[in-house]
Amino acid sequence: MAKELTGKVYDIQGFSIQDGPGIRTTVFFKGCPLTCPWCHSPESQSFAPQLSWLAARCIGIDTCGRCLPLCPRGALSPGERVQRPGTGEEIRLVRIDRSSCDVCGACARGCYPKALEICGTDYTLDDLLARVLRDRPFYENSGGGVTVSGGEPLCQPKFVLPFLEKLKEAGIHTALDTTGHVPADVVQGALAHTDLFLYDIKQMDGALHRAATGVSNERILDNARLIAAGGGKIQIRVPVIPEFNDSDAAIREIGVFCLSLGAAVEMVQLLPYHNLGVVKYQRIENRGKVLEAVPPSEARMHELVALLKSLGLDATLH
Amino acid sequence: MYVLSPVTDRVAAIREKYRTAKPSICTARYRIVTDYYRENPQLQGILKRAKNFLNICERLPVLVNPNEVIVGWQATRYRACALYPEISFGWFLDELAAGTIPKRDTDPYDISDEDTRYLLETGDYWRKESLSAKVDEYIPLGYFGAAGSGVTYFGTTGTCTSPTGHFVANFETALHRGFGAIRAEAEEKMSELEGRMYGNGAERYNFYRAVTIVSEGMIILSRRYAEECARQAALETDPARKAELLEMADSLGWIMANPCRSFHDAIQCMFLYQIGLCLDAQQHGISFGRVDQYLAPFYEADLAAGRITPERAQELLDLFYLKVAEMNKIWPYFATLSGPGYTSGQLMTLGGVTRDGRDATNPVTFMMLQSSGRLLLHDPPQSLRIHKGTPPELWDAAIETTRIAGGVPTFQNDDVIIPALMARGLPLESARNYCLIGCVEPQGCGDEWACPGGNGTESFFNLLNAFLLAINDGHNPMPAPDGSRGGRVGLPTGYLYEMETFDEVLDAVRQQIEYFVGWHISLVNTWEMVASEHMQLPLLSATVDGCMESGRDVMKGGARYNSTGNAAIAIGNIADSLAVVKHLVYEERSVSARELYDAIMADWEGHEELRQRILNEAPHYGNDNPDVDCFARWATDVYGDAVNAATGPRGRWAAGLFPVTAHVLFGMSTAASPDGRKAGTPLSDGISPVQQMDRSGPTATLRSVSVIDQKKFSNGTLLNMRFHPTALASESGKEKLIALIRTYFDLGGMEMQFNIVSADTLRRAQEVPEDYRDLVVRIAGFSAYFVELYRASQEDIIRRTELNL
Repeated sequence: MAKELTGKVYDIQGFSIQDGPGIRTTVFFKGCPLTCPWCHSPESQSFAPQLSWLAARCIGIDTCGRCLPLCPRGALSPGERVQRPGTGEEIRLVRIDRSSCDVCGACARGCYPKALEICGTDYTLDDLLARVLRDRPFYENSGGGVTVSGGEPLCQPKFVLPFLEKLKEAGIHTALDTTGHVPADVVQGALAHTDLFLYDIKQMDGALHRAATGVSNERILDNARLIAAGGGKIQIRVPVIPEFNDSDAAIREIGVFCLSLGAAVEMVQLLPYHNLGVVKYQRIENRGKVLEAVPPSEARMHELVALLKSLGLDATLH
Repeated sequence: MYVLSPVTDRVAAIREKYRTAKPSICTARYRIVTDYYRENPQLQGILKRAKNFLNICERLPVLVNPNEVIVGWQATRYRACALYPEISFGWFLDELAAGTIPKRDTDPYDISDEDTRYLLETGDYWRKESLSAKVDEYIPLGYFGAAGSGVTYFGTTGTCTSPTGHFVANFETALHRGFGAIRAEAEEKMSELEGRMYGNGAERYNFYRAVTIVSEGMIILSRRYAEECARQAALETDPARKAELLEMADSLGWIMANPCRSFHDAIQCMFLYQIGLCLDAQQHGISFGRVDQYLAPFYEADLAAGRITPERAQELLDLFYLKVAEMNKIWPYFATLSGPGYTSGQLMTLGGVTRDGRDATNPVTFMMLQSSGRLLLHDPPQSLRIHKGTPPELWDAAIETTRIAGGVPTFQNDDVIIPALMARGLPLESARNYCLIGCVEPQGCGDEWACPGGNGTESFFNLLNAFLLAINDGHNPMPAPDGSRGGRVGLPTGYLYEMETFDEVLDAVRQQIEYFVGWHISLVNTWEMVASEHMQLPLLSATVDGCMESGRDVMKGGARYNSTGNAAIAIGNIADSLAVVKHLVYEERSVSARELYDAIMADWEGHEELRQRILNEAPHYGNDNPDVDCFARWATDVYGDAVNAATGPRGRWAAGLFPVTAHVLFGMSTAASPDGRKAGTPLSDGISPVQQMDRSGPTATLRSVSVIDQKKFSNGTLLNMRFHPTALASESGKEKLIALIRTYFDLGGMEMQFNIVSADTLRRAQEVPEDYRDLVVRIAGFSAYFVELYRASQEDIIRRTELNL
C-alpha cells in the first residue's frame, strides 16, 4: 500500500487574528526557498524536522536527566550550570552535539518538560482538516477562516492544494500566506481555492532581493501579476527592514508595483522589522545569517504608510 | 465609537476622597442594636426584627455631607462599615482582641481605642445571642463524623457567618407604589384578620404587622434625611447649594411614603431602600437588579418634560455609584481570603430582553457603563445581559468599558440563562426578567427567593477533595494545621491501588460527591430552619412578589418562586485528575496506581519526573481534547444532578459552578492531586482550565468549557479570561473579541468576564503599588483594586493564562 500523503507542519495556531479577516486558524508549513536574515520563524526554513531546545523549560539533569541515555548516538551530555528562571534553583542543563544528532526524536519523546522538542509534524489531509474544522463556529461568527502559511506552503503543493480545495468544499474562507517564489502552475492551482492571498513584496530591485533573500524577485512579481490577472484578491505585505527597503524610494517602488496590479490589491500592510526572532535561532542553533538591527521607529513607519496612501493605496501598519 | 466624557469637579472630589479614605469600623448600629436586644428579650421572631429595624431608623445618625446629592448611610464616617452582631460576632471579637483587624494583609479596617474597649466589654453578650451561636446548637449528630472532609467546608462551631444576604428586592414596587401604599395594604390585611385568626392566621397577621412597622421605619428614615437637608439649607449661604439642599429635602420628604416622581426621586429611593435592607439584614451580596429598566421611564419622562439634562442625570448616576462604592462590610479574615478587595457584591444588571422578549437596551444602559468607565470603582459590579438582538453600539460600549474598568461589565447569556431558570420553575416572563445576584447568580428580579449563596455561609463544594477522599478510603489526605491526620470522614470507598478498573474509580468518586452533596444540603437546610425563626426579612418581603399575597416572609417561603443555590469549585483539577488516572494508570499502564498514589501522598516529593510528565504529556482540560473534557462534563453532571434533585424547606436546590476566590482559599487546605498540583496551591478557577494548562488558545478553551452542560447550572457559571491589552487596541481586535463571546454563547456558554491587563503591568503594580492605585482587576463576580489584594490572590490573577488577540 502506498504511503498516505502527508504535509509537514511546524505549528498550528488557533485564534489567529493577524493573518486575514476574522478569527482564524493558521497552519504553518515547514520549509522555505528563501533565507531572509530577518525571518522571525527560523524553524520554518528547513524542510527537514529539527531538534528544538528551550533551556528555560529544562528542570535539570540531576532531577530528571532522562534524555541523556535515550540518545542512540551519544549526542547529549551534561552541560553548564545555570539558575532556573522563576525558582532561582541551580540546575545543570544538557548539552547537544548537533554534529552527532540525526534528529531521531528519541530524546524529545522522553523529555517531559518539553525542553527538547522535534519541530515538524506530518499530518494527513483528513487529520489536518478535522483539526482546523473544530473551530468552525468561531470562523462563522467572525467572518474568519483558515490561513495556510509557512515557511512556504506552496513548496508542498501535492498536499497544500488539495487541502485548500477541501477547505473550500467545506465552505471555509481560505487565506494563503505565500512568498510567491514557486512555479506559476502551482500558483495557478491555488488561485481557484484561495479567497485571499497574503503576498510578500520585499524589494523591487532584483539584485538587492537576491542578495538578501537568496533568490531573485522575478518569479515573485510575475506570480503576483498572474494572481491579479486571474481574479485573485491580494493583501500585499512588506516587511520594512533597516537599510534594505526602508527608504522612501524603495517603498514607493513597491507601491507603484502594487498600483500596477489594479483592483486585485485590497490593502498594503507594512510590517516593521523586529528582533524578537533572534532567540528562536538559538533554539535550533540555526547557523544561517541573522540580522540584528535597530527596528524602525513608529514615526518612520507612519511616514511610510502615509507615503503609500499618497499614491492612492489603502495602506496600514500590521 | 464609544467615548467617555469627563466627570464633574464634585464627582472627581468625592472619588478622590473614596480612593484615599481608609475603611474603618463604626459602632453606631452596634450600639443601637445591642441596647435594643438587651432591653427586649420578650420579643422574638419577625416582630423582634421589625421593631429592631424601626428602632435603627429612628436613632441612627443621619449625615448629609457637603457635595452629596444622593444620601444614605449605614455608618457615621466615610467608608466606615456597620456591625451586625445579631448575625455572627465571635470571630470579630477574637480578631479584635488579637489586634489584627487594622493590620491584616487583606481588607484591614481602622478602629478607635475607645470603640475597641467598648466592643470587648459588651460583645460577649452576642457570643450566645448571635444567630451563628444558635445555629451551632442544631448541628445534626451524624455530621460530627463527616466534618473536616474538605469537600463541604462547614465545621462544627461558628458555622453560620451569613444566613441572610444574596437577594434582590422588588425595587419597582418601592419606586412606583412606595411604602405608604405597602403599609396601607398590610393594615388592610390585618383588619381582615382581626378577630378571625383561624389556621395560620396569627402568623400571617404577625407578618403584616411586621410589614407595617418596617414600612414606617423606611418612611421615618427618609423623613429624617429630609429634615437634615432642610436644616442645612437654612444655614447655607451659597444659593446654588441651598437650592439643591431644598430639592433634596423635597425628594426625601416625598419618596418612601409616595410613588417616585422623577429620576432624582427614583435614584434616591432605590439607594435609601438599599441602605435600609443592609441595615436590617447585613450587607452581603444584596444586589440592585435591573437598574436600567427601573430608571429609564423616569429619565425619559424628565427629559421630555425638560426637567433634567443628560449631563445632570449622568452626574446623579455617578454620585449614586460613589455611594455604593463607599459601602463596606468587614468579614472574618478567612472569608476575606475568598473575597478580597472590600467588595460588597451589590451587583447591578443591565441590558437583556424585556418581559415580552424585546431588546431592553435604553439610554440608562449606556449611562451605567459610562459611570463605571469613568469612575473606575471596585464596586458596584455590573452584569450585561446579552441576547441575539443586543445592539452593536451596546456591544461597543461594553467592550470598551470592560477594557478600562477592570472586567466591568461581565457578559451573561440570555439564551442559556432564561431556559435554565424556566427549568427550575420560573415562567417565561419572569425568567426573561432575571437579574444577577452577588457574583454571577441568576434569579427572578423581584419575585424569587433563590438564596444563591445558600443559608449559612458562602456555600462552596470542593469537587477535587471528593476525588481525593474517593481514592483514599474516605480520609482527607491533607493534615490538619497541627500536622495530625484525622480519622475517616467520607465513605470507605477503598484506596486507588486497590481499584482494579477505572470504572471503580469513577464509582468511588460518584459516591463521595453524592454523599457530601447530601451533607452539605442537610446542613444548609438546617441553618435555614433556624434562621427562618430568628432572622426573617420583613423589609425585603414587603416588596418581593408573593409575600403580601401569602402573608409569609421570604424566609418562610412567601416569595412567588423559590430555590436554594450552591456552587462547586475545582472543575479543572478533577477533570485533569480523572484523565491522568484513566490514561496513565488504567490505559497505558505506564504508571502503577500505587506509584501515583504514593506520589501525591508525598506531595510529589521524590516524584518530580512523574509530575513533569503529567504536567506536560497528559491531556489537560481546556485544549479541546474530548478525552479529558468528558471528565469535566462527567464530574459536573454528577454534582449538578445531585444538587438539582435535592429540596429545601421552600423548594428545590440549584447547582452552580463559580468560586469567588474560594479556589485560592480552599486550595490552601487541599492536598496534592494527580493532575500535578502540589498541596496548598490554588485550585482551578471557576469553570476555567487549570492555570497555565490551557495551551491551545482561547477558541480551544471555549470549546472545552462548553462541554459542560451549563444550562444545568442555574445558580451560575463563571469563566475568567485574561487578554493582553494590545488585543483590544484596534477596532478589529474588539470585533474579534465580540465574535469570540458570541461564539461561546452559541456553544452554550452562560457567562464570561475579562481582565485586559498584561502580566508585566501586574508585576510592576506589585513593585510600585503607589503608581497603580487605580488599577482595577476582575477577581470573580466582582472587581477590586489590584494593589489592595493579598499576595496569593495577586499571584492567582497573574497566573491566569494571558491571551493575545
